[in-house]
Amino acid sequence: MSSTTSPDLIGPETAHAVLTAIQSVAERSFFAAVEPCDERAFGELAVKVSRWLVATVRFEEGPLVGSMSCTLPEDLARALFDAFTGGHPSAPAPARDQVLDLVGEFSNMVCGAWLSRCASDWTFKLRPPVVEPVLQPLGADGLQLFVVVNDRPLALALRLLEPAFPAAAGAKA
Amino acid sequence: MRILIVDDSAMMRTMVKRVINLADVAVDEILEAGNGAEALALLETHDVQLLLTDINMPVMNGAELLRELAQNDRWRNLIRVIISTDGSTARRDEAASLDVRCYLEKPFSPEILRNVLNDVA
Repeated sequence: MSSTTSPDLIGPETAHAVLTAIQSVAERSFFAAVEPCDERAFGELAVKVSRWLVATVRFEEGPLVGSMSCTLPEDLARALFDAFTGGHPSAPAPARDQVLDLVGEFSNMVCGAWLSRCASDWTFKLRPPVVEPVLQPLGADGLQLFVVVNDRPLALALRLLEPAFPAAAGAKA
Repeated sequence: MRILIVDDSAMMRTMVKRVINLADVAVDEILEAGNGAEALALLETHDVQLLLTDINMPVMNGAELLRELAQNDRWRNLIRVIISTDGSTARRDEAASLDVRCYLEKPFSPEILRNVLNDVA
C-alpha cells in the first residue's frame, strides 16, 4: 500500500481540527491543558525526555483510510493516567499494561473526536490502538502537529492511506 | 439495578465504574465486558437493567450488539446508552433506530456521565 498525502486533508484546516480534537479530549477527560508549539520548542522539551510511548490508531471512514499516532513521554502518560482514573500521585504506580491501555484510549478519543467532525455523514471504524515504546518521536509523511500538554511535549502524526478495502470507499452508512 | 459496561479499554471501564460509584444511583452490581460477544453472554445469564456500550470494539462491535438486542423481545426493557468516540451524525441516526436512550460522546466529563445515570436510572 502506498502512502499519499491529500492537499485537502493534510493542511491548515486539518491541523486546526486535530488540535481542537486533542484539546477537547485532554481538557474534558484528562483535565489537562494543551497548547500548540512549533517544532523548535518541541525539540527543546523533547531532549529532556528519556522514555517515549507511541500509540497508533488505524481508522476507516468511508473512503478515508489512515492512521493517527500520538507520541508522548512516559511520565506524561502516567500523569494522564492519574487524571483519568482519579488516582492520587502518591498512590502506587499503575501496572505498565494499564498505562499502555490509557495511552491507547487517549489516542482513540483524539482520533474519534477528529473523525466525528471532519466527515459527520459517515460512520467510522477504529482499530484497537497499538501502543509501544520508541526511542524518539518518529517523523511523519503526513500531517505532524506539536503540542505541549501540561508542560510536556506531545507529537501527533496523521497519515492518510489509499483505501485498503474497496468496500470502505463505496459503502456510505 | 445491575449495570453492564461494554468497552474494550479496561481503563475506560474503570473510569465509568468510578463515576457510577460516585453517582446518586442505587447499584446492586456492575458487570464488565470487553466486546459485544462477551456482553451478550453476560446478558444471557444476568438480569441487567442498564447497558453502557462503546461502539468501536473488536470481535463484535457495539452496533452489532445493539442490533442483536433489538431482535429479541427479551431485552425490550433494557436501557441502552452508547458511550463512544464516534459522534458522527450517521452513527447517532443509527443509534436512534436501535432503541438507544442516550448517546454520550467521548470525551466527556464525569459530571455528564453522572447526569446521564441519574436521568436514566
